[in-house]
Amino acid sequence: MGRPGFVLDVDERTPPLLMHEGEGFRLERLPLGSRVIYPPESLPGIVDLEGAIQHALMHPQGSDPLPQLLRRGMRLTIVFDDLSLPLPPMRTPDVRQRVIEQVLELAAAAGVDDVELIAANSLHRRMTPAELKRTVGERVFRAFHPDHLRNHDAEDPTNLLHLGTTAHGEDVEINRRAAESDLIVYVNITLTAMNGGSKSVSVGLASYASLRHHHNVHTLRHSRSFNDPPHSAMHHSYDRMADVIGGQVPVFTIETTLNNAPFPSALRFLTRREWEWNLTDQASYLAVKRSNDLASAKLRRQIWQATEAPYGVTGVHAGAPSQVHPHTLAALHRQQLTEVHGQADVAIFGLPYICPYNVNSIMNPILVMSLGLGYFFNLYRGKPIVRQGGVAIFYHPMRPEFHPVHHPSYIDFYELLAETTDPVMLETKYEKQFATDPWYIHLYRTSYAYHGVHPFYMWYWGAHAMQHLNDVIFVGGHRPTTARLGFRAASTLADALELASDTVGRDPQISYLHAPPLVLADVR
Amino acid sequence: MSLALQYHRSAGRYFAARALSGTRAGGRLAGALASNVAPLRLVEQTDPVPADERWVRIEPVLSGICGSDLSLLTGRSSPYLGPLTSMPFVPGHEVLGRTLDELPGLPQGSRVVIDPVLRCAVRGLPACPACLAGHTSRCDHITGGALAAGLQTGFCADTGGGWSQRMIAHASQLHLVPDSLPDEIAVLAEPLACAVHAARRVPISPGASVLVIGAGTVGLLTLLALRKLTAAGEVCMIAKHAHQAERARQLGATQVISTEGTARTLRRSTGALLVEPELGEDYLLGGMDLAFECTGGAAGLNTALRSLRAGGTVVASGMPSGGVDLTPLWYRELLLVGAYASAVGASAIDTSAIADEPAQGDFPEAIALASAAPLDGYVDATYPLERWRAALDHAASAGRLGTIKVVFAPGRG
Amino acid sequence: MSSLRAELRLLRHGRDWRGRARVPRSAQRWELPENGDDFPTAWARTAPARALRTALQQGVLKPVVWSQTRPVVHGREYLEGVRGPAIFIANHSSHLDTPVLLGALPRRITEKLAVGAAADYFFDSRATAAATTLLFNAFPVDRRGSRRGRSLAAELVEDGWSVLLYPEGSRTVDGWLSAFKLGAAQLCAMKGVPAVPIALRGTFAAMPRGRRWPYPGRPRVTVRIGRPLRIEANETVPEFRTRLVRAVATLWAEDDLGWYRALRAAADDTLALPTGSRRALPTTASGQPAHDHDMAPWRRVWESTRPPANDGPHPVWPD
Repeated sequence: MGRPGFVLDVDERTPPLLMHEGEGFRLERLPLGSRVIYPPESLPGIVDLEGAIQHALMHPQGSDPLPQLLRRGMRLTIVFDDLSLPLPPMRTPDVRQRVIEQVLELAAAAGVDDVELIAANSLHRRMTPAELKRTVGERVFRAFHPDHLRNHDAEDPTNLLHLGTTAHGEDVEINRRAAESDLIVYVNITLTAMNGGSKSVSVGLASYASLRHHHNVHTLRHSRSFNDPPHSAMHHSYDRMADVIGGQVPVFTIETTLNNAPFPSALRFLTRREWEWNLTDQASYLAVKRSNDLASAKLRRQIWQATEAPYGVTGVHAGAPSQVHPHTLAALHRQQLTEVHGQADVAIFGLPYICPYNVNSIMNPILVMSLGLGYFFNLYRGKPIVRQGGVAIFYHPMRPEFHPVHHPSYIDFYELLAETTDPVMLETKYEKQFATDPWYIHLYRTSYAYHGVHPFYMWYWGAHAMQHLNDVIFVGGHRPTTARLGFRAASTLADALELASDTVGRDPQISYLHAPPLVLADVR
Repeated sequence: MSLALQYHRSAGRYFAARALSGTRAGGRLAGALASNVAPLRLVEQTDPVPADERWVRIEPVLSGICGSDLSLLTGRSSPYLGPLTSMPFVPGHEVLGRTLDELPGLPQGSRVVIDPVLRCAVRGLPACPACLAGHTSRCDHITGGALAAGLQTGFCADTGGGWSQRMIAHASQLHLVPDSLPDEIAVLAEPLACAVHAARRVPISPGASVLVIGAGTVGLLTLLALRKLTAAGEVCMIAKHAHQAERARQLGATQVISTEGTARTLRRSTGALLVEPELGEDYLLGGMDLAFECTGGAAGLNTALRSLRAGGTVVASGMPSGGVDLTPLWYRELLLVGAYASAVGASAIDTSAIADEPAQGDFPEAIALASAAPLDGYVDATYPLERWRAALDHAASAGRLGTIKVVFAPGRG
Repeated sequence: MSSLRAELRLLRHGRDWRGRARVPRSAQRWELPENGDDFPTAWARTAPARALRTALQQGVLKPVVWSQTRPVVHGREYLEGVRGPAIFIANHSSHLDTPVLLGALPRRITEKLAVGAAADYFFDSRATAAATTLLFNAFPVDRRGSRRGRSLAAELVEDGWSVLLYPEGSRTVDGWLSAFKLGAAQLCAMKGVPAVPIALRGTFAAMPRGRRWPYPGRPRVTVRIGRPLRIEANETVPEFRTRLVRAVATLWAEDDLGWYRALRAAADDTLALPTGSRRALPTTASGQPAHDHDMAPWRRVWESTRPPANDGPHPVWPD
């Protein structure tokens, strides 16, 4: 119970290890001497969660208790993280529902009538009513939808307010209703070290005019990594913007952290250390793998997307964002941080079936790339897991399939990649065009599509990795697709290492990041 | 009363183990056989009591599992040795322990290793001709005297053995271990003494080419002894597993070859002729000067006989199991020599062509060698007595699991 | 998509014939401690197992034991008042003790009785563990340290099961009584259940340590059941344990001295009781108290295997 994360050295006694590959997984025998980075074991969730939330609201950091901030006749805006968190979606009742219900009860007791709930979806797609209901709960949904529970619309000029610029000349433009409130209460889930803090309001409620100042190639290349806020240029920009906002409208944030229990207990073998699998685990592995492989693609997708995580909450902190976020990060590190000594020549990542942008959707090749070279590559603090000029090997089939409703701009972006894969070139030549295209804006505002510029941001997410690595190989990847994206494909790990030997030689030092569940490698 | 692993008389289990280990599946599941079918059990024994003041009680600190122990437990050992044991006995003849009684010159609590051979001096008998000459491994009175029959401590009902929390030993069996020698290296003293004895068994002319078959504990320690105590020239080692090959190179093997196609590889280095019979392994006309067979298997002995030049010598260090075609022995006029355990006096044949000092007994020589040799990490698995099944399982597949030696740490009584 | 055989081969790699993987060297630091008494015994208390066990005990075990020995049971009437769980304690000198007791106690008691068996002896291999658990409704008792073995007994008592324990801990070497451990007395005190003392005589002579079957000739075995004892309000656990020792010793001596004289000897404190590490025989033929250091080993065995006075059938015609 509660063993810390550690780095395993693969020796003769190590059984084959589990790798995720999209909507599936496999066992793989790693070469002797490879290192495997294991996350700490899941911490127990708070038993009395309602009590913990109550306590946080009454004893916030750097702020008066919430009831004292609420008064009759005020304009209150409650903002919450959208469905890109947590991953996989949490078993209902979602922690956001619990927090929002408690906040609303305090608001009702204080006599607050003017309450708006806004999903902080920024340039992500709007949440459907069903998704909203799942997040905030039945009671809140029935009381506030559809007039007072809505998604943020970053392309509605009447509902945006320009608050000013930062010292570096970055525009700060956010949702008008929120900016003109007497209090913003932000309900956050910090799943990775990137979330929360100053990011919450300044990005979640922003428009393209604001986002382009930090969601660009230059900033992302200087975020090393964006899971390490002190060394992330992106977070420095967020901080500047949050200062501007905080000067104009008070923000009371409630941040929560989750434990490492992303899979239900039937899939317990996915989070157990392989040499501790008992016969039940081995039997479940075999049964689940066989049925997964034999199922049709559609059925498989349905089953995986329906997975709900039995997450427990490890911490609830409330108050002023700058004071709260250090506590949140401490709780997060306790659950996810593993110390690693030295970099590797080759890093291996097994990519799961879900990323923030394909919840109830399809993971297209660009999202695969952003999950691998963006999120997973940047799960480090200090130095990347793999050395400069090394090779990254990913496991994912990377099929060229797109969701026509959710990701229309991605389909066109995929065609652009045939012309060039260089992020800088894409940024200068095409970003503006996609960002201001009226059809994409129409679909973003009225349908459930991601903003036209979103695929560019996904591409920039991997810009740091693309600069850092010499070669990227996808095991089991669809050959034409990987070629289009500028990567290589191999059928097996042995072939992948063969391809990698051009860069790193025949006897490279290999590190495998054993995630999910999430692990943040503290590389010294 | 203390814990001990006891081997008891059970014809049913012995034959069951023997029959099962003969099948192909049984060969692979040797560990499972040794731990479940063998007539071995964990008991609370009454501690053996020293007979007189020359005997002391010993508390084993570490006790090794030897290939001969595993052969015994899987029923592969020869019935020839039956009368030389007295059941029930506690196995374990590679013992590092602490004395619990005082002896002149050896205070209580001293760290000692035990020479397990139960020779005349230990049995309280006047020395037989072999013991008088110093060839104590050849003692004839191994079944008589004050003790029950038993060729070594670890096969005798009266002495107890290493796989227990209490045993007894005679003063003449004890060798003090220097404080600078860590436990995990000191416990290798007995197999190293046997390796020293094997290396001194026959004269080795300077520059002779030697083949060592098997890179387990016996093979690697024999290689060490050959390099340090003899004038052998090229020493070629046959190793099955990669980690063994690495250790062999570390100890100074000239060449390390795998178990496949040995005749062909040796042919190149010796310039011999290769002959391929229709039935049976390939062999050489010509070949190495000496071979040390350290696996105890019929295949190893076969390879040894077929890889030597005419007039060469095979030293059988491992306890043999299974028959072998002796035609090469007759045809090439080879010498087949056995090397068993270790001897107290210097070997009658003085082979210390390198060393200037006179040859000492095998055990003192072994302790001296151990202090200087790179033997760290040879013992990388320690088990308490309660986990004896896991320990035997591990020892039976040690090579495949990257381990050289597995030991018991019996703990306090 | 790989074949089933390839998947199985991958799963088997690095795992032994039982499907267990060895811990890699670099993970040994974080190895979970292996708990020795993780052999589950709850299955043996399910209804189908209970039915099977009753059939085996009444149909096989009891007839076999009764055919190999001549058990005589005294004191069953003291059990009439025992309703609900109780702790049965007996002296332990032979593997025959449990089968004899299971046959001697009334069925209504044995159907709800669990027997404490040494974890290191009976639960060493899965096969013996399964057999012992099924046939005797055994649960592991850890002799070597104070681990979970005893709390399992507490759980069983809470669930309404009676428990048979041997407070000496292991079978005696020479048939003498060793000092009782505190566990049984503690359990009575904690759970507020009565303790029923039982003395077994003749099992050591019939099948001592080292023998796997009783001596031929149907040796006599006597089972004496005593009155249930409850811990008093102001009694400490060690004092209660002494009372239990005295009760068993009195029952033991009854064979030699007769009932009233045994009670008088207990009251006058002339029975030899085991204390600390000293073994004792409650009474000897000479009537003098016997303790460990007085007698040679052969004499101890001699005294404890003395055949009871009224052995064999009474001759009808006094020829």
